[in-house]
Amino acid sequence: MTWNDLWLFALPALVCWAVAAVLSLRGGWRRTVCLLTSCGLLIFGSYIALMWISLGHPPLRTMGETRLWYSFFLPLVGLITYVRWHYRWVLSFSTLLSLVFICVNLFKPEIHSKELMPALQSPWFAPHVIVYMFAYATTGAATLMALWQLLRGHDQLPAIDNLTRVGLSFLTIGMLFGALWAKEAWGTYWSWDPKETWAAATWLCYLIYLHLRRSRPQAVRPALLWLLLCFVCLQMCWWGINYLPSAQGASVHTYS
Amino acid sequence: MKKIWEMTEGALVCCGIVVAGLLLQLFVGPVRWDAMAWPTNIVVLAVMLLGILVMHLCRGKVRVFRWMSTLHAGIPAMLTCAMLTILMGVTRQVPQGHVPMEPIGITDMLSFWPFVLAYVWLMVLVGMVCMTRLRLPLWHNVPFLLSHLGIFIALVCGTLGNADMQTLHMVVQEGKTEWRAVDARHRVHELPVAIELHDFFIEQAPLRYMSDVTVYTKKGLVVRDTIQVNKPLSVRGWKIYQYSYDETKGAESDISIFEMVRDPWLPYVYLGIFMMLAGAVCLFRNSPKSSHKVNESKITRDDDME
Repeated sequence: MTWNDLWLFALPALVCWAVAAVLSLRGGWRRTVCLLTSCGLLIFGSYIALMWISLGHPPLRTMGETRLWYSFFLPLVGLITYVRWHYRWVLSFSTLLSLVFICVNLFKPEIHSKELMPALQSPWFAPHVIVYMFAYATTGAATLMALWQLLRGHDQLPAIDNLTRVGLSFLTIGMLFGALWAKEAWGTYWSWDPKETWAAATWLCYLIYLHLRRSRPQAVRPALLWLLLCFVCLQMCWWGINYLPSAQGASVHTYS
Repeated sequence: MKKIWEMTEGALVCCGIVVAGLLLQLFVGPVRWDAMAWPTNIVVLAVMLLGILVMHLCRGKVRVFRWMSTLHAGIPAMLTCAMLTILMGVTRQVPQGHVPMEPIGITDMLSFWPFVLAYVWLMVLVGMVCMTRLRLPLWHNVPFLLSHLGIFIALVCGTLGNADMQTLHMVVQEGKTEWRAVDARHRVHELPVAIELHDFFIEQAPLRYMSDVTVYTKKGLVVRDTIQVNKPLSVRGWKIYQYSYDETKGAESDISIFEMVRDPWLPYVYLGIFMMLAGAVCLFRNSPKSSHKVNESKITRDDDME
């Protein structure tokens, strides 16, 4: 299994997701929608599984590989949101975003055939990154909805709050898994390297959003604008630090 | 006179803390974390907890103490911490124990007084709000306490215990037994544990290096095991990590370098971390199912808070 086979799996998966998205937009057909989305997830998931087997380690080392998970988790988050909160438009969102990431991978794959460095050969590695990918997908969806509400005025606030809450809980879990792993691998659970510093800042920002919503439920616009800022922080944490002069050569996270 | 303290006062207090921190930085110099070593840290912890308890008990009489457990105080405190953390993220930091690159001190943020004081203030507020939730029926407050008390325990114990953490490096030759190790300042320490290195080897294919060792303690404990990256060995409160080897010789290296870590506060930090993990799961599980319930629960919880 190589990157060249990606489209063989991505295309059918995208078709499933797109049909499900259209059906859910029109209303009704709930069971078919769920079935089709799951079908797409199964197809895309099997590509990841096959990559995993042929690489001999979880495909989580390069940006391209983490994007695979992002493309996988977005429809999954969409499906969960659809099932739990009955938002009809959410699958269109997740499918569109997933399409973007798959296209990036198809047309500009960052492929590295390097072996994992010893510090990454740990049982903590997969959960740490997968949980973070899930958190990125959830908060990404919340950000888009916040933009949607700011520009078009549709009230999405309950959904935004829920997604942010879920996103924050996963950010917390990912961060703490990272701390436990770092203790195991390097002897310190938190060493304030640039990635960790930005993770802390991002976590605090999302925390502020939740507390702000509780303290001032009427101040919708400032809260939504703040949420956009949170996502900027998150991007900094995810890939921005690779371009940040202050972080050059100072991070143990340079591989991601 | 104004009815109660609100968010503006929260912001003002934070500004005051930053200014006070800058003055301290100017006249006292950076925070000296090594001065926090045992028993100073336990005294500081006791004073902090006692202070929180006293303020909590006086909250009926003193308005400010009551205000301290509200979001009006908490949000500006979080904001201040977030801004200083972002400042840390955009400035290049000097390695730990080094002198800052500029006169203000922001390149050594962890010893920068405004940064430290802002986090102390936030933790005091978290402690205060936990006190208000330590009441019956406790069951309703469990998710809240897990996350808030969790971060309090993890951060306070992690910070106070940092000075008690010993990180030493021990160089052992094949066939020899060693009980001395050096710290970051090249001072030699005699340890209560000794390592005998039988063999050091590198598996070329996955670039994995490991040491076959026997560890002895003063009390007569003997452990034979293999130590490799990600697979440290724990003996009597010491964690022994595979750290390095003679890199000029590569696979032929006849020495192995171990990192020896002792961290007596670790169990408490772990307690905090696992409480936070449980709190995060609660946060995920307790997300309301419909928008109607969001509003309902929000109102009741707001009453709780303030």
